[in-house]
Amino acid sequence: MSAEPEAAPVMAATGDVVVATDLTKIYGEGDSEVRALDGVSVSFPKGQLAAVMGPSGSGKSTLMHILAGLDRPTGGSVLVDGTELAGLNDQKLTLLRRDKIGFVFQFFNLLPMLTAKENIELPMKIAGAKPDPEWEATLVEATGLGTRLTHKPAELSGGQQQRVAVARALLSKPAVIFGDEPTGNLDSKTSGEVLDLLRRAVDEFGQTVIMVTHDASAAAIADRVLFLRDGKIVRDAGRLSAGEILDTIKTLE
Amino acid sequence: MLGLVLRGLATRKLRSALTAIAILLGVTMISGTLVLTDQIDRAFVQIFQAGNAKIDVVIKQKPPFENVQTSVYLNATIVDQVRKVDGVKTADPFIQTEGYLIANGESLNSTGGAPSFVFTSVAEDLNPYTPIEGRLPEASGEVAVAKEIAAKGDVAVGSKQQLATQDGIKDVTVVGILQYGNGDTSLGGSTTVLATLTDVQQWWALEGKASYIYVKAQDGVSQGELKDRIRSALPQQDLIVQTGREDADEQAGQLNDLIGKIIRYALLAFAGVAILVGAFIIYNTFSITVAQRTREFAMLRTIGASRRQILASVIGEAFLIGLLASVAGIVLGLGLAWGLGKLFGAIGFGLPATGLILSWQTVIVCLAVGIGITVLASIFPALRATKIAPIAALREGATLPVGRFAKFSPIIAVIIGVLGIAGMAYGLISSGSTTGRLTTLAGGAILIFLAVAMLSRYIVRPVVSVLGMPIGAVAGGVGRIASENAARNPARTAVTAAALMIGIGLVVFVTIFVGGIKASFTGAIDSSLKSEITVSARGFGGTIPAAVLPAVQGVEGVQTASPVGGTAVQIGNGGYALIGIDPTTLPDVYAFDWTDGSDALLGTLGTDKALVESKIAEELKVKPGGTIDVLSISGAKATFTVVGTYTDPTILNGIVVDQPALKPLLQSNATGLNTIFVRVADGTSVETVQAGVDEALKQFPTAQVQSNQEQKDQAASGVNTILVIFYALLALSVVISLFGIVNTLVLSIFERTREIGMLRAVGTTRRQLRAMIRWEAVITSIIGGVLGVLLGILFGWAVCKGLESDGLVFVFPTSQIIIFLVLSIVAGVLAAILPARRAAKLDVLAALSYE
Repeated sequence: MSAEPEAAPVMAATGDVVVATDLTKIYGEGDSEVRALDGVSVSFPKGQLAAVMGPSGSGKSTLMHILAGLDRPTGGSVLVDGTELAGLNDQKLTLLRRDKIGFVFQFFNLLPMLTAKENIELPMKIAGAKPDPEWEATLVEATGLGTRLTHKPAELSGGQQQRVAVARALLSKPAVIFGDEPTGNLDSKTSGEVLDLLRRAVDEFGQTVIMVTHDASAAAIADRVLFLRDGKIVRDAGRLSAGEILDTIKTLE
Repeated sequence: MLGLVLRGLATRKLRSALTAIAILLGVTMISGTLVLTDQIDRAFVQIFQAGNAKIDVVIKQKPPFENVQTSVYLNATIVDQVRKVDGVKTADPFIQTEGYLIANGESLNSTGGAPSFVFTSVAEDLNPYTPIEGRLPEASGEVAVAKEIAAKGDVAVGSKQQLATQDGIKDVTVVGILQYGNGDTSLGGSTTVLATLTDVQQWWALEGKASYIYVKAQDGVSQGELKDRIRSALPQQDLIVQTGREDADEQAGQLNDLIGKIIRYALLAFAGVAILVGAFIIYNTFSITVAQRTREFAMLRTIGASRRQILASVIGEAFLIGLLASVAGIVLGLGLAWGLGKLFGAIGFGLPATGLILSWQTVIVCLAVGIGITVLASIFPALRATKIAPIAALREGATLPVGRFAKFSPIIAVIIGVLGIAGMAYGLISSGSTTGRLTTLAGGAILIFLAVAMLSRYIVRPVVSVLGMPIGAVAGGVGRIASENAARNPARTAVTAAALMIGIGLVVFVTIFVGGIKASFTGAIDSSLKSEITVSARGFGGTIPAAVLPAVQGVEGVQTASPVGGTAVQIGNGGYALIGIDPTTLPDVYAFDWTDGSDALLGTLGTDKALVESKIAEELKVKPGGTIDVLSISGAKATFTVVGTYTDPTILNGIVVDQPALKPLLQSNATGLNTIFVRVADGTSVETVQAGVDEALKQFPTAQVQSNQEQKDQAASGVNTILVIFYALLALSVVISLFGIVNTLVLSIFERTREIGMLRAVGTTRRQLRAMIRWEAVITSIIGGVLGVLLGILFGWAVCKGLESDGLVFVFPTSQIIIFLVLSIVAGVLAAILPARRAAKLDVLAALSYE
């Protein structure tokens, strides 16, 4: 049972970038069976910043992994930018992630031996593509990393590292960016910098961002907040304040 | 703590197994070598004891000086005195010489460099050979042959065949087929023919001579008793009287010195290289795992483990790996010995089967080396593990503290390198004993390898910058990551590469060294010989009949046929060749490279003057005007005045005298002729003349006729065989170093699991990931290959320069070096297969959440 949307998306939808239909994910068999996702259907329109919340074991990470093509559902269908993920082999799935999906991880996951600029360009280099210099300059400007581009990750603060990671995700102009606890490893000040950047990505560059988070203040910048419990979407809200979010979470626990 | 060590090993199975393989292969080689050479040793003893089973006492001539390959003979007539001694049942002279049967036109001579024996037949109660068909030869013209020859040449009892002797081909009748003792007759591919004493004495110019007198005791007289009685009847100082048993042990010992020990030390040297390479890998593996386990060690420290316990746990792990690898290596060594025995048999160098012998010495040596090296290589990493502070357990990304001596390591490396160069220099230019020089040379080389391995971490970054460009161009983004990965832990990459460097370095070195030997021989032929054809004695130590010279001179188209002869002599304490030449014809076939003198000296040599090769003159410390006293193998003595010196470490390497001066120094059976240099008349085809010489010498099967090119080819093929054996033995070290690359990659991938997860998440395909790891391996192997090639060239050049006066020439092996570099790249690709597959198989999500 999935909840009906309480509010229409803030921005006009020009089509859904990610569409999930009746997703189930079952681990184990028989008595030890665990239903991590239990019939989730949800769509994400272009240009939306969505936050997925829920207590540990609610299935929010599993949902994101499946939507991002990192994991496969037991049942149901996922469309990313019009492509059905079910039935894609590892090679095709990998290329889809490369071409259509950007990632921002909790632990930044930058390569320590590459400079900030090289880390930003990494996915495009792997794809054998040339980054658009104007777009790259815009991103560097937006991240405020201008003077730190030749530094290695070890010489950058956590917030700077995560801004590099966001720039890395944005450079190839993917259809959607997934964030896995993007502020989970940052203090509140640097969290704010990273969240601002994600917000600008949506507002100024028209990106679509879906992030899983524990952090109510992170979810408070989202256009839409989804709450999961026991593998089901229990609330699908529009913009909420941090207080409202915390109240909802309390009712879930 | 032991429980922890065992659990640790069990959870890190692959890593432990790869580490164990590094030491296992070296131990296998040691074990195989020891088992095989024990087997050879025992086989020799068995053969000679079987041969002497019926012989109670042996009498032989004492050579005038030791360490000569030439046979010496005694006066056969003393057998009459021996027969009169009380307690002697039978006594017979015995001669051992070389020759072979020609059956139905086919020469049935030995294979694999073993001798083709002709023995005289002695009385049945003394004879180690027993006829299995027919009988022993009794009358002139009768021979009996070993069963292997009979089978090979389809020789039947009663058939008329031919025997190749020093005096030419003789018609013989086969009267018997023999077996030796109670079994096999063919030792190492040798062949045996038995003939009568008088025939052998006549055909090998040994009238009145014998190699030994064999004596059988009457019943009730012991070997020792009979020996004493004969000794008192034959008081001559130059005779040796031994029991059959003593003689068998001595002969087995001599043969073992000649073959068994050489095989043993050569194989052990290569096993040592393999162990050295293994030590690098163990050191590297333990360094990496200790670094990766920093938090684990810190945690153990916080819960109360002492530094000593941490040290003990790492060393204990090394001890266990060493123990398991050594035990496995000993067992595999038995298999290796068995296989090598089969291989020798297959290439015509059959060893008598005695079963595999695993002596307790073998077990102890293998365990000591295997465990010792593993523990030794783990000490430094273990000491670093003890430096980890307990607080590191609480810190994210805690790293191993830098060792106290780390900042001195470049200085230490330079000191080690300088010591190594000094060792090599001493080994090359000192005049000490050969063993001592070789040991310092090898020790110097090991130190240089160590120093380069320690310093090579500083070249990893520059090499990666150079290689990064082309690799980036070929492989794109993953190429760039691969280059950076290779450079991010330079010490690790350097040590991994160093293991390969040793193998490749030695491969290049032996290529240059063996090439230098080849070039010295071909160079000497080109620069010294004016002749086009050479007639020489087939087999070792042989001479050719005097009648060969006029036969060659009579061939149409021969302008000059210049005879050269020689004998072994002792001067001071050294053995040399005394070479007799013909002064009138030699200048037409041979160009002297004079250091002091001219061709005009040749005519003035007479019977008391000599020319000395310059290196020998240096050894003997003589100059023109000085004198040398020579003692010949025949026991005769002479004094020569040195009138000139020349350089030729290859063809006329000895002391040159006029033929009449050589004659009185020869043994009675020697003709004083072992080589004839033939110059073809201008305008005549060499091929035609060579065919003519061949035809003229048909009656003299012990003389072989070769063009200069054929001589070069013969030398080259011998040398190439050695090279192939060296390559095969060094291949083991290269294989071990591949395991080192595999090990380092597996450990690095393990460390970078989360990075790999990220790369896969952002769209790196499995194929790209495999390529990335392959490129990292290739960069490592290129560093190892290039360093190895450079060191190999350096060693080769140094040794060729050091041995220049022995004729060694430095030849740059361009094409081989290109091949070796390509091979090292291939090695990297091969080493990457397993790690790349493991990395590509990693589950993206599991990798991303890996800590």
